[in-house]
Formats: sequence, structure tokens, C-alpha cells
Amino acid sequence: MRDDRGTGFTAPAVVLLTLVTAYPLAYVLYLSLFRKMVIFDISKFIGADNYLYMLHDARFWNALENTAYITLVSVALELALGVGIALLINRPFRLKAVARALILVPWAIPTVVSAKMWEWIFNTDSGVMNYLLGARINWLGSPFWAIHAAVFADVWKTTPFVVILIYAGLQVIPRELFLAARCDGAGPWQIFRRITLPLLKPVILVVLIFRSLDAFRIFDTVYVLTGGGPANTTETLSIYAYKLLFQTLQFGYGSAMAVVVFLCVGLISVLYVKMLARESAW
Amino acid sequence: MTTRSLRIMTSLMLISILAASCSGEKKDGSGTTVLVFKHGKIAGDYAEFKKLLDRFERQNPDIRIKDEILPSSTDEQHQFYVINLEGKSADFDVLSMDVIWVPEFARAGWLRDMSGLLPPKRRGDFFPGPMRAVTYHNRIYAVPWYIDAGLLYYRADLLDKYGLKPPDTWEELVRTARIVMSGERGMYGFVWQGKQYEGLVCNTLEFFWSNGGRVLGRGKAAIDSPENAQALAFMKDLIVKYKISPPLVTTAVEETCRRIFGGGRAVYMRNWPYAFKVLERRGSAVRGKVGVSELPAFDGRKPRSALGGWQLGINRYSRHAREAELLIGFLSSPEAQKFLALALGYNPALKSMYRDPDLRLARPFFERLYRIFMSARPRPASPYYMMITQVMQPEFSAALTGIKSPQEALESASRQIDHLLGVVGR
Amino acid sequence: MVKKTAFYLLLSVVLAYCAGPIIWQILTSVKPDQELARIPPLVTSHPTAAHYIAVFSGYPFMRIILNSAIVALSTTILSLAAGSACAFGLAKLRVRYKSLVLAFVLSVSMFPPIATVSPLYLIIRFLGLRDTLYALIITYTTFSLPLCIWIITNFFRSVPDEIYRAARIDGCGPWRIYYLIMLPLSLPALFTAAILVFIFSWNEFLFALTFTATASSRTIPVAIALFPGLHEIPWGDIAAASVTVTVPVILLALAFQRRIVEGLTSGAVRG
Repeated sequence: MRDDRGTGFTAPAVVLLTLVTAYPLAYVLYLSLFRKMVIFDISKFIGADNYLYMLHDARFWNALENTAYITLVSVALELALGVGIALLINRPFRLKAVARALILVPWAIPTVVSAKMWEWIFNTDSGVMNYLLGARINWLGSPFWAIHAAVFADVWKTTPFVVILIYAGLQVIPRELFLAARCDGAGPWQIFRRITLPLLKPVILVVLIFRSLDAFRIFDTVYVLTGGGPANTTETLSIYAYKLLFQTLQFGYGSAMAVVVFLCVGLISVLYVKMLARESAW
Repeated sequence: MTTRSLRIMTSLMLISILAASCSGEKKDGSGTTVLVFKHGKIAGDYAEFKKLLDRFERQNPDIRIKDEILPSSTDEQHQFYVINLEGKSADFDVLSMDVIWVPEFARAGWLRDMSGLLPPKRRGDFFPGPMRAVTYHNRIYAVPWYIDAGLLYYRADLLDKYGLKPPDTWEELVRTARIVMSGERGMYGFVWQGKQYEGLVCNTLEFFWSNGGRVLGRGKAAIDSPENAQALAFMKDLIVKYKISPPLVTTAVEETCRRIFGGGRAVYMRNWPYAFKVLERRGSAVRGKVGVSELPAFDGRKPRSALGGWQLGINRYSRHAREAELLIGFLSSPEAQKFLALALGYNPALKSMYRDPDLRLARPFFERLYRIFMSARPRPASPYYMMITQVMQPEFSAALTGIKSPQEALESASRQIDHLLGVVGR
Repeated sequence: MVKKTAFYLLLSVVLAYCAGPIIWQILTSVKPDQELARIPPLVTSHPTAAHYIAVFSGYPFMRIILNSAIVALSTTILSLAAGSACAFGLAKLRVRYKSLVLAFVLSVSMFPPIATVSPLYLIIRFLGLRDTLYALIITYTTFSLPLCIWIITNFFRSVPDEIYRAARIDGCGPWRIYYLIMLPLSLPALFTAAILVFIFSWNEFLFALTFTATASSRTIPVAIALFPGLHEIPWGDIAAASVTVTVPVILLALAFQRRIVEGLTSGAVRG
């Protein structure tokens, strides 16, 4: 097995990825070393100055904090909910296929629609949320609630992603293990902790990495809901980068911001792999 | 089973790839110039707009117009233009720009100089505000197409009921709103746009200007002034002290306000002229009850609306500059402006249109709009405006939500703006 | 008995949570314009098909749905093909710098799209692919590959090595093992990845907006973004459009679900 060469199999994907992304990645890295402000006609190589400036940029730290908060809370909630739902539906019942298709709905709705939908749902005046709660919370306009509204909308949208992956992961666990454990008198919680969870680890790793990757780069949902406000309390790194690149045309600093996002996500992935992966092959 | 499904998939893929090559436009032959006109979605009946373009094509048989539409979100349009123009794209010739982008694009070298199309004697044909916005270093870089300005909408029926007149001062607005609110149930006094976005800046600057304040002065930040602090504090007080504006204004954009006011749940609204047509539609709860006037000012001051509207420019990299100028000349001509006003409800940028009897008949408040447009003030027409607004938006929002005091917010904004202007000199 | 009711109760909560908003969208899509903004009439008493008519007659919607379908289908098939092959190499065969390859593959997904859209657009223009579906297919495949590769590699690794060795002894080359044994075994993973890639491609907005200009290559999310006028948001039309585009995806998912189940019962895994 290890004598057979696998390069022929891996090559197509790797080649495509390299061809398409090499230029953009290099371009972004390259730009991040420049002070490029098109309006001012400046295009000057300044080395690591953008990054040094970032260290003192209060708005950057604010965005980092918001992003970290959203990522942490979102991913934790999604994981908990996703695993819970996957376990719940992992048994035969009537209309199972329909139920599983419906669970996919949040993921299936286009983001342009779901973000606007949530904006409507969180409308203080005529939104469904306040209608159901019988309250008049200023969801999107209050510094405290806004970020949680964003988290809620994101969790709703992406939980199906977790469900579908965990569910597929559950199918791979041989049923004999469960039956044997049940015979031995193990309760459902013990089964979960001792058998299910450890065997789900590889899938959970994939889920954690990709969800964190996405949550850290979150843009559309938050931008539509709050535009980064009020008072930048929901401004994420991606939103800040977007405003730098496309609103104020600071291509150098904006690219540096993108590189920092990249580095943060890379760090998070490495941490996950170290924590969860057992085999050295990873 | 598997081989069959794999075979199905491969055939599907081949079909898809072949189908993919069927997309894209057919090439146009025979010596006509194809002019690509890029603009945001037309608010109104697109078929009518098409008629106007057809008319141009009939008058210019060797030009064909390819009309490419962008989403109406101004952010998305700006993003599109940035990506394309920074990449020196020649894929479009004529572009429609928000009033605040022209100096920026001009400075970046993305627009053609159009001073020839608008010689000095013609410049007076358009409103002064837009002309200021399209002028950069004394050269013209765009032609005003249609104009917008902030207006005060009010419930004429309710004001009549309580024997009140539309207010001239903000203080009066508060007073009259409270009277109506105490008499009617479930009404807000005054709704305006307070979400952290460009609209917030428009609203806030209107308050500033109506108190004699400004943003820039002599090349430096002049935003940290007692007049502005007073105005900003007043805005906040509308929510927390006088309670005539609900806390939800900090999430409100134009449509939010329009819905609330259009549902009969507000006495006053600040919004753009587009709202009037929507409010007067059949089935609207406030049909026939809406009045429009100039915004109020602080006691002893003059009111000022923020200028909006769109301008037509030519892509510097376009290879059809001559034809592009023809199209722009056409769209800003009296016949086209009148057509747009009647068919689509746009407000012409040509002053002479406001004396046209047909338009005056068809559009209520038309004369009033003329006055307001004449005094409408552009946001600082500077290439750095996009940066300045990115500084102002969070600061204003912080003041409104109580995170910072108005003084702190203005002081912080002033510092950042000075830093910005200082970084690049003047 | 109690357990069963508890289960169905919990299930209903989950379904309400997930599907609630789309049901609300369906209800909204048949509401006449005047009732759109108000909540008490949650279900209208005067249902109207006006929004659906507006969606299909006012925009070349069928063409746009076709575009999205072509792009999504092509992307899915290409991603699965290249991704599963790559995963096979990484999971079962000898590949140099395996971890590096995985890290590189992952890093492609780590950049914020807003930073890469500009340079990618320049490439697309340089290749003359602006305003074609190819531009989207290539881009989407590229950005779907990391997830595909990681998911499928994971699953291949859970397939016991003995199967490979046994097949090898029987004289099968690696390609036949991949094609005839590994792929059928990992249908759950393949269809999971397929659903995720399809949905990603169906709903992607930023690149679609940037790379396409006319209706001939426009996809659904861009078309929906073009619905609103300068300030007005036609909620009824948007609801109708979103119902129209979400339903096919759900039906597709329904079809795929059964494959996932099938996959695990065709278990050579049981030895």
C-alpha cells in the first residue's frame, strides 16, 4: 500500500489549486508590504510597517475581539447543537428523509436572502423575534444585543453543516459497539462519552477547523444585519478589511489585514490538530 | 450500480461543460459601436427606461447601447467599480456614480475629464450642489444625472387635527410631535436613519449644518465644535430625553422609516424624495395624508438638506469616449430629463425642468423641491471623503447609543480626520 | 411511550427552528403587498400568485436557474472527482510531504474571499473568461476542494487497510481499487461532500457578482440582489424567489439522503 505511488491521484487537485490561487495569494502578501493608497497616488514599499501599525490600531484590536467572540460562541453552539441534532435523528423513524432534508434548509437558503431575512426577524418594530418574545428589544441597534443577534443568525445558518457531517460520521461507527456496550449495561451518557465521542473525533476535527475558518472570516451575515455597527461593536476583521479595501481604497493595509486573518485561522487550525489528532500522519 | 451512476455523472458533467460554453454574448458585427452603460438598478419601470435608450439609438444609428445593471446597494456598486477600475478594465464606458464618489474616482485617475462637455456657461444649468460634487481641481469629471436631498415628511392630516403647522425649528418639531403623540395612540414622533452607515452621516450632517456647524474648514477638521456637539446631543435627546424617536432608529435605514411612516405609525419622517411616490400608492395607509417640506433648523439658523443623487461619468480606459459623451449629453438633455421625471419619478438635475408646467402638474411639491435642491449641500467634496465617512460613522453611532458622549465622539473624529489629512498633506 | 413523545417533541422543536424561517418565507411569498409589513396577519387570507408571476416574468429567471444549475453541477462533479482522487492518494498511498499537502490545501480556504476577489478577477479577465460560466466553475471548484479533500480523506482513512491489501493481492491496481472499491464504500462521505459543495456553489455571491455582467451568465444570488430598487425592497418577490431556489436544493438533498443510507448498507466494511 505504501509502496504504491499516490502522486498521480493527488496531482490534479493540487495542480488546480496551485494554478488558481498562487497568484492571488502572492498578490495579497505582496500588497501587504506596501503602502498603497490609490487616492493619494502612493505606492510605496514599506516592509512590515503595515503590520506594526496594526499593533497600535485600536480599531484592529476591537475587530479582532469581536471576531474572536463571534467565532468562539458560534462554533461552540453549532457543535453542541449539531452533535445533539445528529444524535437525535440517528435512529429510524417515519418521514426521516423529510426531516433530514428540512434540517438542511438553513444551509440551503442563499446568504443574500437569509441575512436580509434575519434583519427582518430582528426588526424591533415588526419582527418575528420580538413578536414571539412579546418584547421590544432593540436587537440590531443596541451595542449589547447586536453581536448576539449576529451570532444567533450565524448559528442558525451553519448548524446543518455540522449536523450533516456528524451524522455521516456516526454512520461509520459499527453498530456492534453500541449493542455490546448496551449489553454490558452502559447508560446512554456513558456510551456517548466513551464510544461515540472518541470515534467522532476525526469528524469533529474537520468540523471544528472548517467552521472556525468560516466563522473567523464571517462577513455577509454581519454586514447586512448591522454594517459593523452600532459604533463598530460588531465589526469583524473581514468587515474592517472590506472597508479598508473597497471603501477607503487602502489596498496595502487592507491586504495586511487579510494576511493577519489568514495567520490567525492557521494558528487556530494548528491548535485544533494538535489537540485532537492522534495519528502522526495528520 | 456504481459504474452506472459514475457514467451518468460523467455524462452530466460533459453536458454541463458544453452548456457552459453557450453562455456569453454573441459578437456584434457590422461597424456599430457598442457602448456599455453600467448603472444601478432602475427604481421604477425598466421598460420605460429602455424606451429612452432606444430613442438614443434611433438618433445615433451607429451606436448600440449595452445596458448592464448592478445591484442597487451602493456598497456593491462602489466595490464593483473599485475592482474594475483599479484593474484598468475597459469593459464599460459610461458609469453612474453616487454623488460622493466623483472626487475620489477623479483623484484616482479613473474618470475622463469632461470639462469640454460642460463649458462654464452650461454649468449654471445644473444645481450648484451637484456641480460642486463633480468638480475637482476646477475640472469637471461627471455630469449630474438626477438629484436627491433630505426632506421632512409629515402627517398633514394629524397636524391639521391638532391645529399645528409644519415646524420650522427642531424645537418646534419636538413640541408638535409630543402633542400629536399624546393625542394618538401607538405613534412615534420622528423617525430617521441612525444605523451605522452612510445614511447616518447624511442625517447627522443635516443636524450639524442646521446649527451652523461643519465638518471641514480650511483643510482641517472643524467637526469638533460647540454647534456640532449641541446638534449631536440633540439627536441623542430625541431618543432618550424627549422620547419622540424610538430606540430602533439606531437600526433604521430609509426603508425602515418608510415602512413605519407608511403604516401610519409616525408623525414625522426624514427621508429622500423617492418615498413620496411609495407613500401615495393605492392601498397605502397614509395616501393623501402626507406633506413634504424642508427640514427644520435650530432656532435662528437656516436649514440644510444633504445632497444625494447620481452622476454620469466616462471610464478613463474606455475606447469609445466620443460616443460616451454623446450618450451622457443625451441623458442630461432637457428631453431625457423630462422623460425620466415623468416616467420614472426621478428628480432632474437640470434646473430648468422645475419651471416645466407638465412636470409641475404631474408632481406635487415640485416647486418646493426646487428650493430644497438649490440649497442642498454636498457632503465634503473631497477625494478623502470615503475615509472621512468611515471615521465619522462609528463615532456618530457611538454618541447615539450612549457609548461615548457627543463631545468625546466629535473630539475623536476630529483627531482621526486631522491625522488622515495630515498623513497625505493637502 | 414517554420516550417516543419526548422524541417527537424534540424533533418538532428542531424542525421548527430549522425550517421555521422558510415556512415564513413561503407564507410571505403569497401575501399581497399591503399585508407584507405587518405581523399579525401571519397567514394571509388573500393569497396571491403575483410575486411568483413577477419573479418569472420580470426577470429571465429560468435562464438564471439554469446557469446556477450548470455551475453547481459541474463544480460538484469536478470537486468530487479531483477531491476523492487526491484523498485516495493521501489516505492510502505513498505521497511525499503528506502533511504539507493537507496544510496547503487547507490554506487555500483560509484567506478572506474579499481579499482574493480582486486578483482573481484580474486572472479571469486575462484569460478572457469574464462573464462566462467557466470562470465560476473554476473558482468554485478551487474553493470547494479543501473541504472535499479533508472530508473524503477522513473517511478513506477509516476504511481498513486490509481491504486494500486484499485487493492488491488479488491483482487489482491502485486505480481499480479506487474506482471499484473505495468510491462505493465511501458514498456517505461523497454525498455529504456533494451536498455541501452544491449548496456552496448554488449560493455563492461575491465571485458571481464580480465575474459576471449580464443575464447570460448570471446566477441566482446575484439575480436576487438585483431585485430591490434603490431603496425599496420587494419582500414578496424576494420571498417567492428564495422559495423557488431553495426547494430544488431541498429536493436534491432528499434524493441524496437515500444514497447516504444505501452507502452504509452496501458494507464491505462488515468484512
